[in-house]
Amino acid sequence: MGFEVLNGGIFTTVQDLGRFGSMHLGVTQSGVMDEYAYGWSQKLLDNQNCNALEIMAGLKLKATSPTHMSLCGADLEFKRNGISQPMWQTHRVQRGDILSFDKRVSGQRAYLAVKEGFDVPNKYGSYATTLKEGIGSKLQKGDFLPFASYDENRMTCRVKQTYIPDYQKSVILRIVLSYQEEYFSQKEQEKFFSSSYEITLESDRMGYRLKGAPITPTKAGIISEAIAFGSVQIPKDGQPIVLLKERQTIGGYPKIGTVLPIDCFKLAQAAIGSSVKFEAIEIVEAQEKMKSIYSIFT
Amino acid sequence: MTIKIASVDSVILYFDQIISEEVLERVQSTYIILKELNGVIDIIPSYCSILIQYDLCIYDYRSIQEAITKRLSTHQSTTIAKQNKLIRIPTLYEEGLDLERVAQCNHLTIEEVIRLHTQTIYRVYAIGFIVGFAFLASVNEKIATPRLSTPRAKVPKGSVAIADRQTAIYPQDSAGGWNIIGHTAFDAFEQFSIGDSVQFVRV
Repeated sequence: MGFEVLNGGIFTTVQDLGRFGSMHLGVTQSGVMDEYAYGWSQKLLDNQNCNALEIMAGLKLKATSPTHMSLCGADLEFKRNGISQPMWQTHRVQRGDILSFDKRVSGQRAYLAVKEGFDVPNKYGSYATTLKEGIGSKLQKGDFLPFASYDENRMTCRVKQTYIPDYQKSVILRIVLSYQEEYFSQKEQEKFFSSSYEITLESDRMGYRLKGAPITPTKAGIISEAIAFGSVQIPKDGQPIVLLKERQTIGGYPKIGTVLPIDCFKLAQAAIGSSVKFEAIEIVEAQEKMKSIYSIFT
Repeated sequence: MTIKIASVDSVILYFDQIISEEVLERVQSTYIILKELNGVIDIIPSYCSILIQYDLCIYDYRSIQEAITKRLSTHQSTTIAKQNKLIRIPTLYEEGLDLERVAQCNHLTIEEVIRLHTQTIYRVYAIGFIVGFAFLASVNEKIATPRLSTPRAKVPKGSVAIADRQTAIYPQDSAGGWNIIGHTAFDAFEQFSIGDSVQFVRV
């Protein structure tokens, strides 16, 4: 009982909220790149942070038993048995259904969850796939994703329109100045906040590399220290890198601050070539914003 | 020690920004006291800092700092010595690809390099780069050797290596630019904790 993988797509992995409490061993947190879309995929099914598929187009699955699933996030031209279906809602799946995600229309990553999640191995308390640590693998043709059959009658649930994000070509990243902020002079900070940066091809689950006005810190290196989610690191070439879910646990480049998680989730849905601008946010407001987002899902 | 905001849900504790055994001891004892603090999601010590990610449902940026300060003032780390392990690493130096170069670089014989490398009891200053990679210091100045100018595409698991005044064991096959001076069958990398003592033993 589960999904047969007919085509693994560009990069489909099993993820959840991530791996916590092991960073001191050098284990990266990993987990879903967009907790917002993932959060809705869980809420729609009344799942408690179960695992889900993170899909980047090209995936094709065949169901071998019935279930209820939810789909949130990027519009990847989702079709069931060749017929287009809406995102941000639950779908009843019948045995033999073919689910396909052919190409990106807007956004980068979609989340497919089934009732109670997929029955796959857990490591260090999480289902998150981290290829560089040899934990899990990306889906390939011939793989099988087991889940418990679920055939009860259940109403279709949809996310209210006001909660559905519109994935834009430009993203504002609100940043809490922190870490080595004092290494960045007034002039460098003005440049950082007034410039537009472009998302480069070298962007992945580890981090998004940006291109634009180079920023120069007063010192090029620091003694290696732990890196929080959303840290903006400035390496020697002055081009900012926003460090995301599969970031290295410690590093020695100066960091100007950390991007608000909700804006990191938007960044994860932005295409290569999109433009990015930074805006400063105070910690009090940043914490209020995040608490109000998390309160949707708890 | 100072406490600074690192992100919306983390703070970082900064100690004197130097690499020294004295600072390491303070990082280690603070880490041991704070890792039991309620509401801590991840706590990551490094050379002279500790990052603490906390639960936003329990603390805000002010109350976490108060909780840290309070716990540090009420807990004495008398048990640290007991937690300080000595881990011995049986090492085959004959398999070190760069052993001869390290000797030449430092105008020593191979035997002298091995003697100097096994003589020191190292401490774990940080863990990272890849899972279980412990940065050990400090290597005797006489055998300190800079990283390779071009890193190797693959350094085999178990390689014992030197970079400047640090030494380490590769916990898995990985790209890397450290000078390989030996090989070990040791495979319990999850044992390493900040401040632990490590000694290489020739086999």
